[in-house]
Amino acid sequence: MEGGIHAWQGLTAAGAPEAGMAFFTVGSLPGELIALAWVLEEGSRRFYASLAGMLADSKAAKLFTDLTAAEEHHKSTLLGLYRDIAHAEPGPDFPRGVIEADEDRMEGGVKVSEALEWAKGKDSRELLELSMALETDSYDLYIKMGRRVEAEKAKEVFGRLVEEEKAHLGRMAALLDNKL
Amino acid sequence: MALADYFKKTDTMTADEVRAFLENHRPDNYNLVDVRQPKEYEQSHLPGAQLIPLADLADHLGELDPKKPTIAY
Repeated sequence: MEGGIHAWQGLTAAGAPEAGMAFFTVGSLPGELIALAWVLEEGSRRFYASLAGMLADSKAAKLFTDLTAAEEHHKSTLLGLYRDIAHAEPGPDFPRGVIEADEDRMEGGVKVSEALEWAKGKDSRELLELSMALETDSYDLYIKMGRRVEAEKAKEVFGRLVEEEKAHLGRMAALLDNKL
Repeated sequence: MALADYFKKTDTMTADEVRAFLENHRPDNYNLVDVRQPKEYEQSHLPGAQLIPLADLADHLGELDPKKPTIAY
């Protein structure tokens, strides 16, 4: 690529090559991997919902309300993926019953509680930049996990998560372009 | 890698061309390689890029599928 990364005018991820991989145990069953991804999406949903309630700027608050809805959509897609790949119906307490995971995590691997503490007093642009960075890190992680796992079904899970996250990033970018 | 290989012309793509390529291809259909140092990678990298610092490239070529196009930066 001419100009190297300095010429890149797009989204970038951050962190070491192994960042975030510990959350997904390599030997996990495909349904467990989807459930773990669902936990991260639900964490992001809670984060965006909280931000929507915190912001005085109504335009930015509406954007985070829309992002909250986008995460709900993404979670529904993951439940469909779970049915398709695990051949099982998610229980009413999903993901409980499938995995035991730290439910205070969100995309990017950060704790929701810590992210919300950081968010206090930040302006909407800073919050949006953080949100895009975390979502991009999630996209980066799913690509790398797809490379890491060996089982074909697990590769298929991460391949589908990559496509979902890519589409999700596109919707977020469109929301940002429309709202700001 | 033979010495003469260092002088082979390599096709380059602009950043916009790379973005279009990545947008239109699934990540499992190409190799995307960051040849910088670990600290540079940690600070910022293209999503999905594998870190293989330039000095280590010869030792890690086996990690790249030669049947797929490789984009490096």
